[in-house]
Amino acid sequence: MVSGAGGGAFLGDAAARLRASVVAIVDHSRGRRGRGASRGGHGAGFAWGSEDLFVTSAHVPSANTVLVVTPGGRTVEGTVVARDVDRDIAVVHAPKARVPAATTGDPYILRPGALVFAVGHPLGVKDAVSVGVFQAVRAVPSGYGLAERRPRRGRSPFIPWVQADVRLAPGNSGGPIADVEGNVIGVAAMIVSGLALAVPAPDVERLLSKLG
Amino acid sequence: MTDSRSNIAALSDQLADAVAAAGASLVAVHARPRLPSSGVHWKDGVIVTTEGTVKQEEDITVTLPAGERVPATLAGRDRGTDLAVLRIPAGSMPAATLGDPAALRPGNLVLALARLDEGGARAAFGAVSATGGKWRSWKGGEIDRWLQSDLTIYPGFGGGPLVDSAGRIHGVNSGALSRPLATTIPVETVNRVVTQLLERGYVARGWIGAAMQPVRLDEGGGLLLVSIEKDAPAAKAGLLLGDVIVALDGKSLESFDQLLEVLSGEAVGKRLRLNVVRAGEQRPVDVVIGERPRRRR
Repeated sequence: MVSGAGGGAFLGDAAARLRASVVAIVDHSRGRRGRGASRGGHGAGFAWGSEDLFVTSAHVPSANTVLVVTPGGRTVEGTVVARDVDRDIAVVHAPKARVPAATTGDPYILRPGALVFAVGHPLGVKDAVSVGVFQAVRAVPSGYGLAERRPRRGRSPFIPWVQADVRLAPGNSGGPIADVEGNVIGVAAMIVSGLALAVPAPDVERLLSKLG
Repeated sequence: MTDSRSNIAALSDQLADAVAAAGASLVAVHARPRLPSSGVHWKDGVIVTTEGTVKQEEDITVTLPAGERVPATLAGRDRGTDLAVLRIPAGSMPAATLGDPAALRPGNLVLALARLDEGGARAAFGAVSATGGKWRSWKGGEIDRWLQSDLTIYPGFGGGPLVDSAGRIHGVNSGALSRPLATTIPVETVNRVVTQLLERGYVARGWIGAAMQPVRLDEGGGLLLVSIEKDAPAAKAGLLLGDVIVALDGKSLESFDQLLEVLSGEAVGKRLRLNVVRAGEQRPVDVVIGERPRRRR
């Protein structure tokens, strides 16, 4: 299938597979006011390891109960079951979600220049894919604008970050950044000097294993 | 389906190979506080970076691809083309594999590379956006080729190379020359400026020491002399206020750029034949092009 019409070409397969695992995480309070939930804003998350456990950024849910919007458009209830503010990761349990888990990869074996892509809801555009290249997984260079003297929680420049030349926007937070095969290498956390920063997948793994 | 996935994986590998190949001649340049800039080991012992990122002339160091940090000395700098040249000990690392920027076309995939620490090369990815002929930077430098791409020049990427998908280096990226697109100073310009900076530490620019204003005469276009500096080449040649230059080396003058063109490159010391109109009569005047006095930084 060399001349595959659109869908099969380029990143199509990997992107379609990963998008099937990505949800929108909406604050419960906002959902109840009738805004947000259907518009899929606020933040992204994705199924990790099972079809009812979702990883997102700790700064996405402000309360302990959230609404999870599945790729199929269903809105289900979720509970924040773990939160690591320093690593900016939260885990949401949504028993009724039934979303296929994403596969995970290892950013530490990626070479700079390797293609990567992000899936999220930048500025409310649902399940948008953006493509770029991997730069590094290590501390953020000094001078990039992450406070070094008294870093805010979850924004320390000294811990390892997946750094990628991928365009992100608000709404990508909590969404996956994946290698060319669609294996998640990090959780999109923020943009610093235009550079995409993500929490390395092994750090997320470690946090989840503590959950038992 | 398998085909498309292996195609994209192959492209990903190729890009990473290109970064690895070009990264072998890529250094971090520590010539300003905090964030370093990038540099290319252009030829043995010679590092090229952008002039704007060199904020100190003493105590400069560079980080080599292996992570070792070595001292570097500033050989020269040229604001006009935003290039600076440093010397490091010979034999430190392989020299850059240069490409031919004339072969790049809009749409070609390219990478911008940077080295900011001992942790390895960094890359940004995009495509060539526009190419074209010779132009003059807003800082007054002559750049042999217009080469712009949609790459993000992140902090510290200035002075790093523009690399094609085969890992060849087509020039040095400047964050200062134009925005929002990334501007690359092409190989031919870098070669020219490196030669001059290594020879005398600066780029000599032609100068005749006169200010002019375009005017229209019956004969066609002309440049009216409105001021002449004392002891400058124009004064020595006997040019007078009010003279109108109507031809350069036998070619009639259509635009001011023609004069700039004649004064650029290796013009210093050359004899320039002007035709001037004085008191209604045309006469030839020979001017020996001088070297523009350098302003102190």
